[in-house]
Amino acid sequence: MQLSDRVTGGVLVVLGGLAAWSGSRLPAVPGQDVGPAAFPMLIGSGLVICGALIALGIGRSFEVPEEDVPATGSRFGGLRVLIPPALLLFYMLASEPLGFLLTAGIMVFVVAWALGASMRLAVPLALVAPVLVHLAFYKLLRVPLPDGVLPAPW
Amino acid sequence: MNELMEGVRLVAAPDVIIAIVASAIYGLVVGSLPGLSATMATALLVPVTFWLSPIAAIATIITASAMAIFSGDIPGCLLRIPGTPASAAYTDEAYAMTRKGQPEVALGAGLWFSAIGGIVGTLSLVLMAPLLAEMALSFSTFEYFWLAFLGLMCATLVARSSPIKAIASMLLGLLIACIGMENPAGTPRFTFGLTDLLGGIEPIPALVGVFAVSEVMRAMATPEPPKMPHRKFGSILAGQWKLTKKYQWPMWRGNIIGVIIGVLPGAGADMAAWVSYAMSKKFSKEPEKFGTGHPEGLVEAGASNNASLASGWVPSLLFGIPGDTITAIAIGVLYMKGLNPGPTLFTENARSMYALYLIFIIANIIMIPLGIVMIRIASKVLRAPRASIMPVILLLCAVGAFATGNNLFSVLLVGVFGILGFVMERNGYPVAALVLGIVMGTMVEQNFITSLIKSDGDVMPFFERPVSAVLAAMTIGALLWPLGVWIWNRTGGRRLPA
Repeated sequence: MQLSDRVTGGVLVVLGGLAAWSGSRLPAVPGQDVGPAAFPMLIGSGLVICGALIALGIGRSFEVPEEDVPATGSRFGGLRVLIPPALLLFYMLASEPLGFLLTAGIMVFVVAWALGASMRLAVPLALVAPVLVHLAFYKLLRVPLPDGVLPAPW
Repeated sequence: MNELMEGVRLVAAPDVIIAIVASAIYGLVVGSLPGLSATMATALLVPVTFWLSPIAAIATIITASAMAIFSGDIPGCLLRIPGTPASAAYTDEAYAMTRKGQPEVALGAGLWFSAIGGIVGTLSLVLMAPLLAEMALSFSTFEYFWLAFLGLMCATLVARSSPIKAIASMLLGLLIACIGMENPAGTPRFTFGLTDLLGGIEPIPALVGVFAVSEVMRAMATPEPPKMPHRKFGSILAGQWKLTKKYQWPMWRGNIIGVIIGVLPGAGADMAAWVSYAMSKKFSKEPEKFGTGHPEGLVEAGASNNASLASGWVPSLLFGIPGDTITAIAIGVLYMKGLNPGPTLFTENARSMYALYLIFIIANIIMIPLGIVMIRIASKVLRAPRASIMPVILLLCAVGAFATGNNLFSVLLVGVFGILGFVMERNGYPVAALVLGIVMGTMVEQNFITSLIKSDGDVMPFFERPVSAVLAAMTIGALLWPLGVWIWNRTGGRRLPA
């Protein structure tokens, strides 16, 4: 996800502009000059200025160029970075119907496998880690983790 | 004296002692794993602190962060991969010592001077905090506004990144803090009709996303770090007394710089280490030896980052303004436990404060034996494959986010902030500035708007009170500093060829 400064700067200009514009449309507090609109407008304008400066390449001299990481051409290619957030979305959607143990097991297995773990590591990890986490959070910390189709025996 | 005894009694409770030991081990292990930073270790601890007594909760945060900052030196020294960003400043130096065959001297220096720095930092906290508390009692919203703003500006002065990008990150954080109805008028802003956003963005899911999920994402994109060779270490503390005597001045300079940077709101251990390492090189009698495995810089910067850790609690406890990302988390925990930061904390809750000081001292003392054990077993811990650690981290992110409010929406937020953190880091936008923006946004706005209402929209009163004028000058200085450096470089560059 290495983007040029023009792109990220441009995104900031648009975002700042939108924030300032929608901030300016917020209802004012009757009888007062400064209300909820002031702060978003100020920040929005700041973002527009910063975004423009970044897009123009000002301030680059301070940056230490990042070492280029060679893309590892293994499972799933470049989209692999999206696996963790995708799994969090999966957790949000699936933990209620499937239950914590099953959802967590799938998550752990997928991450381990995507990082190149052998079956001998990924499978036991997917079996043990959710149980330990469930014990710690459900029993010790009393977090109401959902049971779903596979309730824990404790 | 009575209060001190009360403090001792609070710390001697069994649950506090268990919390200290357990979080010490946790901090040492997590800090030593490359990529897992001290901030992340602390952020993942927050859900656990919900179910602890107030003192035990604070103890876990203090101990885990102190240990993690030290043990970040271990992979830096042995593998040339800093375990935490605070160790990055002197990683090359420590690795050079390992190549010269002195890994135990480098690690020992990290441990010994970390502990000394931590204790000096604690003493500064003990001395400074009550004095400043008296001053803070007379602060009005103008001073609070400048303090919070100064904190945000300091956070943008982090080394190695474009100041404009850093300011942009901070503004983005402030904009995220605008979400919800936590504003002086109680108007819902930027909620896009989602009820989940009405309450605003909680800092914890943002922190966990930006620091932990993005790290798991990075692991997906980068090759596995090299395996550590088995290594036998000599005595770890043997040469340290000699180093202490030889580099007494650099050590004290490191301690003092660390304390000063820590006290500045917004600037933390990472910055302390960079500044101290640079200072050490500048003032050294043998600067040519730096980078070739010379312990002087290690002594100074190692002391500095731990000193800043303790003194970073000064602005947090007094004003609720975080010294760095770790204390940003700590402030959240303090509020949750009814120890609301503010100058009155020192008068009304003195025994809790004594307990806090004691925990700092204990943490820095047990750091030495536990740290030695950690160094000895480091080769085993660091051999654990990434594929076995990252899945567990991701699972803890999900459960931890859920536990903060028993709300599945936070799990989604963690994912979104993971992507944001990953993209920002890749493109040179410092994420610490974003996080501090999110944490401090409400406070900055609250004080800014209240001040404006008080002054009838006039900006002059922001500069009229003496303390607020000084703070304003510091803030504007921090804002103009990069410009000054830029002009200096420009003119210097032009003069050279002539």
